[in-house]
Amino acid sequence: MNASTTTRRAIAAPAARVLRQRAVQAVGLVLLVSTACFAIVQSLPGDIAYRIAAGRYGYDQVTAASADTVRAELGLDRPAWQQLLDWLGDLVSLDLGTSLVTGADVAGELGLYFSSSLQLAAAALVLALAVGATGGALAAARPGGALDRITTFWVSGARALPPFLLGLVLILVFSVHLGVLPAAGHGEASNFVLPAATLAVGLSGLFARVTRDAVAQIRQSEYVRFAATKGLGGRLVFLRHVLRNTGVTLIAYVGVQTLILIEGVVVVESLFAWPGLGHALVHAIFWRDIPMIQATAVALALLVVVLNTVVDLGSLAIDPRPRRREVVL
Amino acid sequence: MSMRLNHLVVSHADSTLVDVGTLDFERGRPVTIVGESGSGKSLLAHAIMGTLPANLTARGSLAMDGQTFDLSDRANRRGLWGRLMSLLPQEPTLALDPTMRAQEQVAEGATSFTTDSSGARRTAGTLLAALGLGHASRAFPHTLSGGMAQRVAFAAATIGGAPVLIADEPSKGLDERARTELAGLLKLHLDGGGILLTITHDLDLARELGGDVLVMKDAHVVEQGCARQVLTEPAHPYTRRLLEAEPANWNHAWARRGAPPEEGGTALVSGEGLSKAFGGQQLFSDLSVTIRAGERVSLGGPSGSGKTTLGNVLLRLLPPDAGYVHHAVALRGGRLQKLYQDPALAFPARVALRDPFGDVIRRHRLEPARLEELMASLGLTPALLNRRPGQVSGGELQRLAIIRAMLLEPALVFADEPTSRLDLITQELTVACLMDQVDRHGCALVLVTHDYALANAVAGRRIPLGVAVTERLVQGAGTPV
Repeated sequence: MNASTTTRRAIAAPAARVLRQRAVQAVGLVLLVSTACFAIVQSLPGDIAYRIAAGRYGYDQVTAASADTVRAELGLDRPAWQQLLDWLGDLVSLDLGTSLVTGADVAGELGLYFSSSLQLAAAALVLALAVGATGGALAAARPGGALDRITTFWVSGARALPPFLLGLVLILVFSVHLGVLPAAGHGEASNFVLPAATLAVGLSGLFARVTRDAVAQIRQSEYVRFAATKGLGGRLVFLRHVLRNTGVTLIAYVGVQTLILIEGVVVVESLFAWPGLGHALVHAIFWRDIPMIQATAVALALLVVVLNTVVDLGSLAIDPRPRRREVVL
Repeated sequence: MSMRLNHLVVSHADSTLVDVGTLDFERGRPVTIVGESGSGKSLLAHAIMGTLPANLTARGSLAMDGQTFDLSDRANRRGLWGRLMSLLPQEPTLALDPTMRAQEQVAEGATSFTTDSSGARRTAGTLLAALGLGHASRAFPHTLSGGMAQRVAFAAATIGGAPVLIADEPSKGLDERARTELAGLLKLHLDGGGILLTITHDLDLARELGGDVLVMKDAHVVEQGCARQVLTEPAHPYTRRLLEAEPANWNHAWARRGAPPEEGGTALVSGEGLSKAFGGQQLFSDLSVTIRAGERVSLGGPSGSGKTTLGNVLLRLLPPDAGYVHHAVALRGGRLQKLYQDPALAFPARVALRDPFGDVIRRHRLEPARLEELMASLGLTPALLNRRPGQVSGGELQRLAIIRAMLLEPALVFADEPTSRLDLITQELTVACLMDQVDRHGCALVLVTHDYALANAVAGRRIPLGVAVTERLVQGAGTPV
């Protein structure tokens, strides 16, 4: 067996393991999240049937009779565990059911929401990485310098500003006062800017900090010094050694931050009327649209798993070292 | 070409760390500087190279091929790196980028790399093949042994054709075979008409290289001359002291006591029919080992022979593939302790040393006075406890690790290459402290080492591990030394 097949196998096997572990995690998460959603909705105050009737016919038309109709039609009078089992049973056959309010097929609507949320999250992540990693790398060039102090200030400022507040400020400045960017809407490139920027600002601060520390540490490493005494110029050392090894740390950190990203997605989508999962979730909760709540919550949870899987595979690709504890001879 | 170093002084604030006169280097004749840690020998190498830490200042000049470089300007030699002078780093496994394949790391050292990268890769492949690493050119560093990583680093340092090679402690942590290989590599550079400066505390490496030897102590060269002369008939008392510190020359009460009487004490650890394979290689199979109370055993063998693995199996830190390990009741409650090769990794890096000791004392309800007592008997001042692990020397940290192990009055101490990263004098001091404590408490000692001389000096019984250790050992018996 030559060395190249060994190394190829050494990378393929962990990748398969990552996919296997993440698949198991996804199934467990779906069960857990949908059950938790169901339990939470059941425990909310107020009669669900009345809320759904209000959603269907408008508040003025809600009477005891219309609520009873809804209850009978949707089987809301059955024991809760039966309703849950029904939903889980349908889920196994990949049937997400129909919306209690609109009667539309949940799976059909979800596809749309999922793709627009994914687009928003990806745009925010790319923007945050571009700004954060560049800022961090520049700050590390001279630790304690002006740029380094600016990034520190920016990091704490960005973390102190919650996304809903930042989003409002951005709308006020760019849409209301300057009128250069749309505050809401979907479908055009300019619609991306404000929501993606709102999400990206907080993340970019964190990425800048992590990048700065990683770059500063890696520049002190033996292999960077050795690269220099081999005769490589500063630019080559940075491109070939510092950048790649910073990527190892940064990619792993992105995985940790996906939760913050998805959390932000829910808030930002509501704020900018972005037709994504978060927006749909908030509305579904409002109307007690149980299948929709469960489906969107599960989709959000799966989004976290998907992003983490991509992160895992990415870090495997650039860092071949074994993850498991191995015997040192 | 020739190289001459003129009156080099390296200082930090008010203290002088290196102060040497004129040193001449010729092609094909190796120059080796020996001495203990802190003697300034590494700083001398880095001052020549221009890689001194930023807080140190250098004075003096370096003449090379008619050009003279002022050593106080650390940047004026940058353009020479890789082409005229290059550095073989101290720890090859750390000096290789963990995310890059071996061939790529060698290729980037070639002067043509920026203009003709595929040509540089081909040259790198040829060079690696010539060093017996043709099969590993696409391997990542973590899959290489210490000796292999050393050869990759050598290829990377020399591919640019720099005539001046400076090797800084190149044999740290290498076993005898890897060290002989290393000496071969360095001689290869000399045979090509190169200039070689080697910094080492390894007198065996200095002997193998030959040429000139300089002995450094406290910033000064105390003796210099032909290697054979200096290392056999030393003139300076410090050189004599250095030679006496080699384990083969030790003369302590506890050294070379021979095998203990059979059935000496109760069995503390007994392993039966142990087998373990790693990465498709069978390390040992059907091996039975018994460690008895109060005995001193060494586990020997070259790197990669599985001695650390066997140790961890015996400590029940790793499960064997077959067989079982039994621990006596006497080892419960922390009375089995392990010393690690790199003590810096055995203490938390960012807290003062006082904390990990306080934890042990609280957890096992020990008398705090015992710590002071042990510190005193191992010659350490209590003030050391206020520092962090990175702020004390390797030798002091290993002695602190011994103290931490001894606090619990262990019945068995398992020491895994505890001194392989220390210089000779520090090694002798550290081992003397360890043996003194082991003797005083009558505890058993298992010493993992690739150094036969050290094993001979310390252990009464040796368990050799090698390529094919199968059914060679019966219970309780090893090879008495």
